[in-house]
Amino acid sequence: MDVNAVQIVLVFLVTFVAAIDQFDFLESLYQPIVTGAVIGAILGDINTGLIVGGTYQLMTIGNMPIGGAQPPNAVIGGIMAAVFACTLDMDPDMAVATAIPFALLGQYGVTLFFTLRAPLLEFFRGAAENADTKAITKWTIISECILGVIFAVIVTLFFIGGLAVGQQIVDAIPAWLNTGLSQAGNMMKFVGFAILLKIMMNRDMWGFFFMGFGLALIASNIEAIAGPALLILTLIGFGIAFWDFQQQTELKGAVADGGDFTDGI
Amino acid sequence: MASNEFVVPERYEDLTPAPQVDQKTLNRMALRSCWLQSSFNYETMQSGGWLFAMIPGLEKVHTNKKDLAASMYHNLDFINTHPFLVTFVMGIVLSLEQNKVDTQTIRAVRISAASPLGGIGDALFWLTLVPITAGITSNMAIAGNIAAPIIFLVIFNIAQFACRFGLMNWSYRVGTGAIDALTANMQAFTRAASILGVFVVGCLTVTMGATQINLTIPNGTTRGLVAHTVVVSNEDAENFADLAVDTDTAEAGTLAISDMEGNGLAAADADGNAVTTGITDLGNGMSSVTYAEVTETPVSYSVASTLDSVLPKLVPLALVLLLYFLFAKKNFTPIKGIILLLFIGIVGALPMINLWG
Repeated sequence: MDVNAVQIVLVFLVTFVAAIDQFDFLESLYQPIVTGAVIGAILGDINTGLIVGGTYQLMTIGNMPIGGAQPPNAVIGGIMAAVFACTLDMDPDMAVATAIPFALLGQYGVTLFFTLRAPLLEFFRGAAENADTKAITKWTIISECILGVIFAVIVTLFFIGGLAVGQQIVDAIPAWLNTGLSQAGNMMKFVGFAILLKIMMNRDMWGFFFMGFGLALIASNIEAIAGPALLILTLIGFGIAFWDFQQQTELKGAVADGGDFTDGI
Repeated sequence: MASNEFVVPERYEDLTPAPQVDQKTLNRMALRSCWLQSSFNYETMQSGGWLFAMIPGLEKVHTNKKDLAASMYHNLDFINTHPFLVTFVMGIVLSLEQNKVDTQTIRAVRISAASPLGGIGDALFWLTLVPITAGITSNMAIAGNIAAPIIFLVIFNIAQFACRFGLMNWSYRVGTGAIDALTANMQAFTRAASILGVFVVGCLTVTMGATQINLTIPNGTTRGLVAHTVVVSNEDAENFADLAVDTDTAEAGTLAISDMEGNGLAAADADGNAVTTGITDLGNGMSSVTYAEVTETPVSYSVASTLDSVLPKLVPLALVLLLYFLFAKKNFTPIKGIILLLFIGIVGALPMINLWG
């Protein structure tokens, strides 16, 4: 099937919107059930698009972005599956299977992107120092556009170039560099943690940090409660903090009373 | 890029509580919360989008420009919460900002309130709402029904926006209602909030820290004896009898029936049971011969399992403590921390080092 320039532009725009929507805005326009139908309409076969979108959607259930994990990227996967089915006359199941490597590539790209986007935060910090709220809006828009354009360019290249281009891109990046960048990305949250600790930590609070660490080790190794572990742990932490609050305030009251500790001793 | 890190003051300059924020501002904040992950990155995760969403409220409550700068700066702290439930945290933080609570308290409350919401939101949305609605509408779509994507979008977004607007209003009311009781004991409240805050960061180090040193170091070889048993004629069995071998020096693959003194060898059979080598006459002209084969298997030393036997998640803990030390004692800026981690990540991945396995 031949594609014309209008179709290429429309695929570019749909991907741009879907790429942003996967993390922000309505967080539902990007779902394959929606993009499948839209891409189908653009390529002149809305029925095939619907079927492929539905098929892909069923596959992604249970493969959601839970707990900060990045599943195979549903934006690239869903759009490419619809593209394959509509332009190459692939059977819907076959189209979904063919799109999986592209979805994995997308997942990979997202991880890299989140690693490399960290320095952008310096611009936000600079704007905050000057109480410049407009600059925050500006950098938010820039940040979103970078994401949208990267996705749109990649999908458009795949759309025009097909399978061969995808493989070439994968081969061009050495494996060790990929590993290194994604490992660095994995570690970057520790910078955020350390900054928080620096703010909140007093000399007498290290015990609470290590208590949280130790209890979390136990909770995350008990399969039955590993999912809601953080909520359970926060409840425990709340109990400790609340008890400390009561101790501190009662102590203050006792001092005001002249330090009269008589009850219970 | 600032070479000297901006210092957030302990207290705002203007400590007069700001008037109640109007409904229109709360609505703007709820709408802006849709862009929570607009600058998502692995250092502070949703912080840029969080600040973007908070700005309408912060502008209302901080009329002093220096206070607004301080507030904006500390609202860029690490935060990772559920996108659809974030307005719950926003309402509480706004009520604290409005009452000009100590910045440390606001920061501690924010991380403590935000972190546990992730699991709740995942359970509500990704594990319940999406599977049910998408499951039903997918089958409609496969049947060729054009209404399927539209029904999916309508249901999902009604749920999402009900959460965003409902939680924004509710938590702001709860926050401003509870603030008087808390500010009466400000020092104790700050302390309690910080205790919960450091406790939660300790938990996050485990639940979100996945870094592990997967290095394996070749550590020589281990020698063993594997027993084989065959049944042969008595004549053939004679051939085995003189297989006396010094098993400590023999090459791998050597067959042996006894050591140099003629004693049977202790070996392990295929099931791992200990057996002694030797020849047993079965009495029917046949003999059962148990002989041993010398084996040599390479041994490698796994750094990961050693570290785990000391303390699981030791690497994340060590990195957090190292970065804390650099930030708190060595005046490292966040960007320097990022560069350090990029360096560790990439150097560790070099083929000759291969730290990450």
